[in-house]
Order: sequence, then C-alpha cells, then structure tokens
Amino acid sequence: MEKKEIPDAVPFRFEKKLKLWLAIAAGVGVIALLWAVFIEQAPASRIWANLWMNALMFLFLGLGALFFWTVNTLGESSWQINIQRIMESMGITIPFAVIFFIVAFPGMRNLFEWTHTGQLDRLLQEKTPYLNIPFWMFRLAIYFALWSFFAVYLRKISVKNDFEPHEKYLARLRSTSGWFMVIFAITSFMAAWDWLMSIDAHWFSTLYGWYIFSGMFVAAVAVIILITIAFKKFNILPNVNEEHLHDLGKYLFGFSIFWAYLWLSQYLLIWYSNIPEETVYYVERIEHFNSLFYLNLIVNFTVPFFALMTRNSKRQTTILAVVALIVLLGHYLDLWLAIMPGAVGHEAAKIGFLEIGLPFFYLAAFLAIFFISFEKAKPVPENHPYFIESSEYENI
Amino acid sequence: MHVSPVREPLINGEKSYKDITNDVMAPIRAKPGKLWFVGLGISMLVMLVGFAMIGYTVWFGIGTWGVNRTIGWGWGITNFVWWVGIGHAGTFISAILLLFRQKWRTSINRAAEAMTIFAVMCAGLFPLIHMGRLPLGFFILPYPNTRELWVNFNSPLLWDVFAITAYLLVSLLFWYMGLIPDLGTIRDRMKTLWKKKVYNFLSFGWKGSARHWQRHESMSLILAGLAAPLVLSVHTIVSFDFATSVIPGWHTTIFPPYFVSGAVFSGFAMVLTLMIVTRKVLNLQEYITVGHVESMNKVIIATGSIVGIAYITELFMAWYSGVEYERYAFLNRAMGPYAWAYWIMMTCNVISPQLLWFKKLRRNLTFTFVLSIFINIGMWFERFVIVVTSLHRDYLPSSWSMYKPTWVEVAIYLGTFGLFFTLFFLFIRVFPVIALAEVKSVLRSSARKFIGKPVKNQPSEKQ
Amino acid sequence: MGAIVYGHFTDEPDLLKAVKELQNKGIRIADVRTPFPVHGLDKALKYRRSHLPKVAFIAGVAGAVLMFYFQYWVFTEGWPLNFGGKPYFSVLSFIPGTFEITILFAAFAMGIAFLVRSNLGPGSIPDILDENVTDDHFQIILSEKENRLSETELSEALSATGALDVKHVNGEK
Repeated sequence: MEKKEIPDAVPFRFEKKLKLWLAIAAGVGVIALLWAVFIEQAPASRIWANLWMNALMFLFLGLGALFFWTVNTLGESSWQINIQRIMESMGITIPFAVIFFIVAFPGMRNLFEWTHTGQLDRLLQEKTPYLNIPFWMFRLAIYFALWSFFAVYLRKISVKNDFEPHEKYLARLRSTSGWFMVIFAITSFMAAWDWLMSIDAHWFSTLYGWYIFSGMFVAAVAVIILITIAFKKFNILPNVNEEHLHDLGKYLFGFSIFWAYLWLSQYLLIWYSNIPEETVYYVERIEHFNSLFYLNLIVNFTVPFFALMTRNSKRQTTILAVVALIVLLGHYLDLWLAIMPGAVGHEAAKIGFLEIGLPFFYLAAFLAIFFISFEKAKPVPENHPYFIESSEYENI
Repeated sequence: MHVSPVREPLINGEKSYKDITNDVMAPIRAKPGKLWFVGLGISMLVMLVGFAMIGYTVWFGIGTWGVNRTIGWGWGITNFVWWVGIGHAGTFISAILLLFRQKWRTSINRAAEAMTIFAVMCAGLFPLIHMGRLPLGFFILPYPNTRELWVNFNSPLLWDVFAITAYLLVSLLFWYMGLIPDLGTIRDRMKTLWKKKVYNFLSFGWKGSARHWQRHESMSLILAGLAAPLVLSVHTIVSFDFATSVIPGWHTTIFPPYFVSGAVFSGFAMVLTLMIVTRKVLNLQEYITVGHVESMNKVIIATGSIVGIAYITELFMAWYSGVEYERYAFLNRAMGPYAWAYWIMMTCNVISPQLLWFKKLRRNLTFTFVLSIFINIGMWFERFVIVVTSLHRDYLPSSWSMYKPTWVEVAIYLGTFGLFFTLFFLFIRVFPVIALAEVKSVLRSSARKFIGKPVKNQPSEKQ
Repeated sequence: MGAIVYGHFTDEPDLLKAVKELQNKGIRIADVRTPFPVHGLDKALKYRRSHLPKVAFIAGVAGAVLMFYFQYWVFTEGWPLNFGGKPYFSVLSFIPGTFEITILFAAFAMGIAFLVRSNLGPGSIPDILDENVTDDHFQIILSEKENRLSETELSEALSATGALDVKHVNGEK
C-alpha cells in the first residue's frame, strides 16, 4: 500500500469566525421562537413541544456518542481511536442538556396529560405511582446525574492517559464503560418511557425504549460523521482516512436498517393484533400525519439503504456527508412524530418556521460546548496502545 | 496491518502453516478412538429412539402428546424455538463477527456453522411433526393445487416456513463455501486414492488460485452481509409466531429483538459447551485459546444482560399498561403453578451470566462449561414459560388448564440431541473442525510468536 | 511453445516482493496460488474487483419483486380471503416472506456465479502443479505464452526473486 502523505495536524482553535457563525445560528433559533410566540401566535402546546423536542435531540446526540465510545471500548476495538475525541467531547454536552430540559418544564402540563391530576381517567389513575411529577423529576435528576458523571469521568480518564500513559487508565476506562453500559441500558429505556412514551399516556409498547435508542444512536453516528468529515477537511484529524469513513458509513447503514427493523416490528405487531388500546397510536399517525409517517421511513431507511449499499459510497466524503445530513434530519422528523401527535394534536401540529428555525439555536449551543471541550485536549489519544492500529488498518 | 502488542495472541505455541494443517487434520487422518465410537453409538441409539417416537406420533396422532385444547403448544414448540435459537450463534460468529473484523472468530466459526446447520435441522423437525398429519406436510408450500387455494401469507407460521428454509439453505451455503478451500487442503494431504477423489469431488476442484481467492473473499463478505440480517429476521419471525397473537405474555412488541438476543445468548452457550470439550479431546487448545473463550463469554454477558433487561421491561410494562390480563399473566408466571419453571429461568438466565463481569471467571474453563449448561437449561425454560404459562391461563378462566409432557414428547426431544450429536460426531471425523485457511491468514498478525510480549496474567494453556 | 514455469515461497512478504519485482520487469504472471487469501495480493496483481456483489444485488431485487408480486397476486386475484379483517393487499404481512426470498436468491445466485465463473464444481479436476499450495506454499506461475520470453529466461527471472524449487512443465496448459 503506497503510504499517502499525511499532512501535519492543524491544531484546533475555537476561533472568532466560528463563534460568529454559531452566534448567527443561535440568533436564527431565537428569532424563530419569538416569531412563533408573538407573530404566528402558535398555541402554547406547540411551543412547549418544540422546546421539549429540541432538548431531547440535544441530549440524544451526546448520549448516543457516549454509548458508541463505551461500546467500542468494551469490544476492544481500535478503529475508532482516531475519532474518539469527537465522541468524548460530544459526551461532554450531556450535563448541559439538563438546562434545556428545565427550560421546558413550565410546559409539562401541556405535554403530559397525566400531570392534570384532578382530571385523570381510570387508566391514568392506575399509573400515578409511576407517572407523578415528584417521582418523574426525581428520575430525571438521577438519569442526568448518572449520565453526566460517566461522561465527565470517562473523559477525564481518557485525557489522563495522554499525560501519563498507563494500563491502569485503560483498565479503568474498560470497567467504567461496563458500568455505564448497564446503567445506560436501564436509564435510557426508562427515560424514553418517561419523556416520550408518557406523552401518549394511554398507550404502551415494550419495544419503545429500543426504538428510541436506535434513533438516538443513528443520529449520533450521523453527527460524528459530519464532524469527522469537517475535521478531516481542515486537517485537524489528518490521520482519519477512507477506512474510518467506511466504518462510520457501515454503522450508519447497518443501524439505519436496525432502526427500520424496530420501526417495522412495533408497527407490524400492533397492526396485526389490532388491539384498540394499542392501535390508537398508529391510527392517529396514519390518519392525520400520513405523508410524514411514511416520509419518516423513506428518509431514515430507504435513502441510507440504497445510497450506502456500495463499498465506494461509504468511502467518499460527499455521499457520506449528504446521507448523514439527510438521516440526521430524518431522525429529527422521527422525534417530531413521536411528540407532536400526542402533545399538540393534528390540528395545531405542523412543520413551520419554528420547527425549522429553533433547532439552529440548539445546534449552536451543542457545537459551542463541543468545540470548547475539543479544544481542551489533544485531538487524538496518541498514547493509546491501539492508536497505531487505528491509523494503519484496511477494510476488506 | 498493525496489530497492537497488547492484544492477546490468537494462536499459541510456535505454529507454522504446516503445523496448522497437521493439527487440524489430525482427527480426520487418525483412526477414530473408542471414545468416538461410544459417543457416536449412544447418539445414534438415542436418535433412533427419537425417530421411532416421531413415527409413533405420526401413526397414532398428536393425541400421544400432552397438548390439549387450551394449551395447543407445549414441548414441541418450546424445543423448536430452543433449537433455532441455538443455531443463531453459528451465523453470528461467521457473519456478524466477520463484519466486525473480529479475528478471533477464525478458529471457532467452522464448528459453530456446522452446529447451526445441525441445530436448524433439529429445529425443523418440530414444526413438521407438530402438525400431526405429516404426509400432508406439503400443504404448507405455496403451490398451485386443484383447489386453487393458496397458503396464508398473513400467517407468521407460514413466514416461518420461508424463514427456516432460507436460513437452513443459506447457512449451508455459507458453511460449504467456506469449507471448499479447506477440503482442497485435505484432498492434497490424503494419500489414499479413493479418499483423494472423494475430497476432490467435495472441494469442487479447488486449487488456491489468487483469482478464486479474490472472488471467494468478496463472496464471503457479501454472504456475511446477507446472513447477518437473515439471522436477525429468522428469530424475529419465530417471535412473530407469538407476538402477532392477542395473548398477554405473547403479544408484546419487544419480542423480536429480545428473541434474537436470547438466541445469540443460548447459541454461544452451546458453542462454548461444545468447544470446551472439543478443544481438549481433539488437542486444539492452542487455536481455541482461553482468550477465545473469554471473548465468547463477553458476548454472553452482553446478550444475557439484554435478555435480563427485556424481562424487566416486560414486567414493568405489564403493570404500566394497566391491563389486568397483562398484570395477571406476569403475576401467574412468578407465583402460579409453573412458578418453579419461571424461577429456574430467572436464576439461570439473569443471575448466573452476570458473574461473567469477573475476568477470572470469564477465563475459567470449568466455570464457563458449567455456566453454559445452565444457560441452555435456562433458555429452554424461558421458551417453556413463554409458550405454556401464557396459554394455560389467558382471558377466560373457564378455559384454564394444565400441561404435562408425555414420554413421547420427552423421547422426541432427547432424540433431537441424538440427531445433533450424531451429526456432530460425523462432522469432526470428516471435515476440518477449524477453518484452516482463515486461521492461517491470521497467523502473521495474531500468533504468539509474532506478537512478541507475552500477555500478563495468562494462565496455563493446558486447561 | 506453451511451457509453464513455476516456483514457490514460504511466506507472504516474500511472495508480494517477488510479484512486484516480476511486474517491474514487465513479466506477466499467469497465476498465483496460495493456501489462504493474501492481503494486498489482488492489488499487486492489479485484479479488478469482483462483480459478484452485483450478481447478488440483481438476484436479490429479482427475488424481492417476484415474491412480493406473488403474494400480492395470491391475495388479490388468486383467492382473496378475509383473514381477521386484514386488507387483501396487506403490505406489512408480505414483508417477511419477501425479505427471506430476497436473501435466498441473492445468496444462491452469487454462490452459483462464483462456482461457474471460477470453473469449480462437483467433478472439476484442477491442474495442480504443487500439492503444497493448499498447505504452506505460495506459488507463482508464469506462462511462456503470455510473455515474450523463453522458458529459461522466465525461470531465471523467477529464481532471481528468491523462488524455491523453480520448475517447468512443457506443452499446452
């Protein structure tokens, strides 16, 4: 294999120009919100639902990245070492997500009908031991405390290994990843039930936690791809080559299929048994959100499936970046479909300036925290024993 | 490609390519020992008793089984799901671990794939015989008949026909395509002319040409890419047999991925059971190392934990749903007449694999062997609990009944073990248990003599 | 006329080096035979990527279309029946069968294409020059027909790369 000339790494600086772009994006988001509140005078439920949706998306990107990093650590895989710092810094956004959740708290009564404690029907009354505000808040606090601890601690150990490389840090990364995996599995499922499934409080699905997780993961991988391609382009990560992109593309491809598989499983089983308590969820979406319901499948499955099938497509930055962006938007749509029918209803819910503009604020916040974190450590953990493997491997 | 020196070697001992050929071919060359004959003999005997009982069932009818009007599925379907689940490990190791570039799969994939084929054959018996009128079994195939009546494509039982058939055929294809180069190797080592001719026939005239290798690699990669979703789909469709119903305990959306994880879980346990014994008996410890066992144990703890989480989710959702039938179904499982089965399941499947978080236990072959047996017992009970307890008490209390297997059903189940082990004993005599070419291809990168520094805390290989 | 010159190596790096040396001299290599697929060999020999994945894709699409249409036909025109109130054209129900047949067609079409293309099959008699090629020998085969050099020149060139046991076979092969 001819050794390509690897250019020297350009150290990453969170410069003024980048900060300016983020500020403009944030501005767009604020304007979208103000527009919706004052000019469009959108119903309160729609405003709060959007704030809630964006808070969740913000969190999911960091959480999905943290999961990706820890699962690769546990699997003793080496290819991801060259992009590990991206995942680490995405994980650092997790503790900040809680701010956006708190911002959305005043809208709880709009989002969750089980909060109307005076007017609960028999079924919702049965659920009050679990669906009550104090317990719900307590769980939320626990989830964030745990996730934030892991995100920060794992990052700390990884950086420590840069300065005094030692097997004990790698062992600690592995064992901590193990703990995180178990805790993440339980808490992410419960969070999906608390924050999304309970919007349609009369409904339930044992698969729901998995389904939300798969969407979370794919969205995170899409963001990792976009950041990786950007950093590669600006020579911040010159060691990253087509092999890494190929692997990331495989994950985007494979887990988009996995997401579709879960989408289909949940839909097929509920459709097949035709039990009214369960079918209400889908009847609502197919009757009143028909095109978006199917568009969801096309964008999140059909596009990545056909576009990323060939070997070459996963090794080219253009195709990979375009598909990653489409899939990211697609999972935003998926989240929209999970929230809006139940929280806002088919008359008020729409995709307007608010839905398109507000995410820019959250994107700006996400990237700002990410960039600040990324700047603080070396762009790659060069002292990791798998670093050379990560830089010199070939895909079949 | 660089391999980090901290990685554990995959091949121990000072092995050359020739050593690999000779070590793996030894069981094929050598005259079978007494142990093999005894093993084969017992397996064949048990298999024949099982077949006799199948004949008995077909002759006298399904009334010879313990299934009754409320509990239409008992041991038969439990065994079906159990065997299909076990088969999944082979494809997981061959296909999915190939896609993840896990080199450690090379010394176990051949035997695991063979195990898959044998397990699916055992599994396939049950849907056939549980229909009762076996001579009319062809009714399940979509063919144009004089009545112009087609099969019901809406039914998951029919999707199963397609799924299991496709799975058996594709697994066979994958296994055999991988075997072709190794059969060529055996042909070239054989001295007896008739053996040479037979292996040449089996190896399709393989000659090691680089062009053929290139196509072979490309094909293996695509087959892996096809087999990976196939294996997920097969057990998903098996889970649909239950989940598409309206029965509490059966109809729940988590079944597809939960069943798949459970399948990989039990399959890896069976691979471990077989490999721990095989490596000792056939002297392959330097290829199937403690490191391999540890890696398999890691898969077990991952899938076992997923199964555990699925149990917890089901329990929670049964309460959360507010549906009294769901709540009762789970209460009954834990405290009703079949509670003993439920708690065996919980202990074997949820508690015991969690011990594998301890590295010492992951690398302990005796513990692993015992645990693998417990896991398979636990997973059998999981299917039993799902099938029988959900059926024996559903919506209408006046339909509640009990199920007990008859000796015919038990004999048939044991007979499938006979079939499985007969095939396995024959396999290790005739075909290479380890994928020769694949192990040779990782020699340079992963053998102990090439990696350099010995791994710390490596216990003696003579386990 | 059509002599074949061949020699072998005992390790991959030696083989790859030899292949490069021969190509630098402008010698065309008829075949390389190895006990396992050698990483980097296809690139060194400038083989084009296999078309088998395309075969799999086309067969898979064919299988998908056939199976989906078949189910559709059976349920809408063959003999439509009411199963639990499900529509006759129950798309969701058709998916599992379609999926399985897609995979089956793709896998077998590719497997058969592989065998046919490589001339392998039950009853194929291979032209084995060195039986150890499936054990631990990495063999390079040069053909006089493909190169404008004589058999002795080829033998010399091959030996110069470090090949062991350089032999030749005369006659058409």
